[in-house]
Amino acid sequence: MLMDSTRAQDAMQRVLIDVIDVKKSYVTNLVTTPVLHGVNFSMQRGEFVAIMGQSGSGKSTLMNILGCLDTPSDGEYRLDGKQVSALSRAQLAVLRNKTIGFVFQSFNLLKRMTIQDNVALPLIYAGVSRAEARRRASQQLENVGLGEYGQRQPNQLSGGQQQRVAIARALVADPPLVLADEPTGNLDTKTSVEIMSLLTRLNREAKQSIILVTHEPDVAAYASRLVRLKDGLVLYDGPAATGLQQMRTEQLEQELGMPASEVSE
Amino acid sequence: MKFGHIFAEAFRAMLANPLRTMLTMLGIIIGIASVVLMLAIGDGIKKFIDKQLAVLGSNLILVQSDTRKSPGARARTGTTQTLTIDDAEAINRLSSVAGAVPVLNTFSQIAYGNTNANAQVQGTTSATFVIRNLRLGAGIGLSEVDVTSASRVAVLGKKIAEELFYKNDPIGQSIRIDNQSFQVIGVLDNEGQSFDMGDVGQIVLVPISTARVSLVRMQTPRSVAYIVAQSKTAEGVNEMVRDIEEVLRDRHRIRADDPDDFRVVNFGEIAKQGEAIGKGLAFALGFIGAVSLVVGGIGIMNIMLVSVTERTREIGIRMAIGARPSDVLWQFLIEAIAICLVSGIVGIAISMGLAAAVNATGMFELTVGVRAILIATLFSGFIGVFFGFYPARRASKLQPVECLRYE
Ligand SMILES: Nc1ncnc2c1ncn2[C@@H]1O[C@H](COP(=O)(O)OP(=O)(O)OP(=O)(O)O)[C@@H](O)[C@H]1O
Ligand SMILES: [Mg+2]
Repeated sequence: MLMDSTRAQDAMQRVLIDVIDVKKSYVTNLVTTPVLHGVNFSMQRGEFVAIMGQSGSGKSTLMNILGCLDTPSDGEYRLDGKQVSALSRAQLAVLRNKTIGFVFQSFNLLKRMTIQDNVALPLIYAGVSRAEARRRASQQLENVGLGEYGQRQPNQLSGGQQQRVAIARALVADPPLVLADEPTGNLDTKTSVEIMSLLTRLNREAKQSIILVTHEPDVAAYASRLVRLKDGLVLYDGPAATGLQQMRTEQLEQELGMPASEVSE
Repeated sequence: MKFGHIFAEAFRAMLANPLRTMLTMLGIIIGIASVVLMLAIGDGIKKFIDKQLAVLGSNLILVQSDTRKSPGARARTGTTQTLTIDDAEAINRLSSVAGAVPVLNTFSQIAYGNTNANAQVQGTTSATFVIRNLRLGAGIGLSEVDVTSASRVAVLGKKIAEELFYKNDPIGQSIRIDNQSFQVIGVLDNEGQSFDMGDVGQIVLVPISTARVSLVRMQTPRSVAYIVAQSKTAEGVNEMVRDIEEVLRDRHRIRADDPDDFRVVNFGEIAKQGEAIGKGLAFALGFIGAVSLVVGGIGIMNIMLVSVTERTREIGIRMAIGARPSDVLWQFLIEAIAICLVSGIVGIAISMGLAAAVNATGMFELTVGVRAILIATLFSGFIGVFFGFYPARRASKLQPVECLRYE
């Protein structure tokens, strides 16, 4: 009995994210646009998930909900054992601060602040002293290979370097989850590979849970699990290799099918 | 998030756009400077008046003849000069009076050797030294014997003594007043302006008897120009004025329904009027200051609203990584307060500079006191809170998703 309950608790704690029938509609000028039609998705600690889907399929909308930056219109979202819809704005801020590290497509570093202070900022909001925050920020910069860049300003760094700073900032407060919406979207292929290697290393070595949105199958291939969205619903949820293979087949069929029909006419 | 950190960020934000910050601060700077100057001028006027009263002596009144209002009395007595040495003595005997001195004034040429000067010569009695707080820098003052025997002695003001004698000792020297020989027996130590003598440093005091005999020709022999009297206490001034009116009406045989043939001037009242004028001036300056502070505050509010809009994305990023609405509110509120406090300090510095410039002219003394600095600092902080709150609150209410989408 005792064994059973601890195991159940263990299993509970292994679940990081639980999304149950989440719907989201936007209301603009009295017109309601449904975007998510009922998404179900759950994730264990230590997983590396890639989300793919056509433009407008609702990937960013889902990521915003997962990141507690936006609330679902309907359905339930549990993060790290907490019912997110029950939390106030201030509690959500604390939850984001402690639980989630964000990596954005456009890096989103604060100008006017040194790289070190940018990385230290989540700790400052967590109430850590400035000296300690800076010390840990430097450590984290070391970790992403930018140890010597702490005193520079963001605009003095290349895109790839800025994105690595953003990753350092996402990791500095040691959150259980990293959310990355198209982190390689503004980077060239070579730099993308660097960033993805870094994220993969974090997942393998530090068992860091990561959810990543991307358009590129090459990027998604770094993940272990793939979720495909289509028109606000989950189209595929399974191993990344299988999912990507399936995508390739679909694409090939389309490319082969089209010329064939053109020829017949 | 700690306040020191927020302040550091506020200053960084201010420095990010220095010209704009400076222009925004201008209204508050002008406002604070004029409020501080207002307080300094208010204090300055009060000090100026207090100093004059101290030079003159306190609780003093002046009795002048005033025949304009009583042609009937003039016709009956056949004179125009109604106050006499005997009136002064009668006033001196009143129980409410600490001392009373008769005064005869003349503007005369003073000569020592080849040096000439023009000065006001005042014929008076020894009591004048007591009731006017006159101090001697050298020698002795006028004595009762000097007055009764009409001695040809004079006490000089500090400046006139320097003018005539330069660095030599004037005591015992002989000077000429309107070509008549007088011996200098004393030099005054007092400085400043007095209501009836002008610059105390420029005065020459002689016994009233000597003045009457040698310097001033009056229509009746015992007439005086006016009488200065001091009451025993500050509260007793009004009582003394009533007593004086009573004794003079009696002595001048004025009938109950006739008006007075003299006029009592209360220096305390004049001082109070001066103070009231000073207060009025200070109030006007304060009003100008208040208006420019309000206008400046609106300017701050405007620029903070612009700043919130400009930094929407920054707000989104901060919220995403863990800034609570209250953190955002404090950040913008403290930025507004910091702008106002820096403006306040600059305003105080400017007003101190202006006060120093005014003081350098030597005409008027302006001191920017601790009270003024404290009031100005608190006031500018308050403006920051008042006009910074709305923009800060607006920033704190922004939704993180929308901020992050903002270009
Ligand atoms: N704030 C909003 N108000 C109204 N409609 C919105 C809003 N945000 C997103 N949408 C709509 O929701 C749909 C999904 O948008 P979303 O940004 O989630 O797509 P996405 O999958 O991330 O696309 P992309 O690959 O281009 O980033 C789109 O049709 C978009 O127009
Ligand atoms: Mg998107």
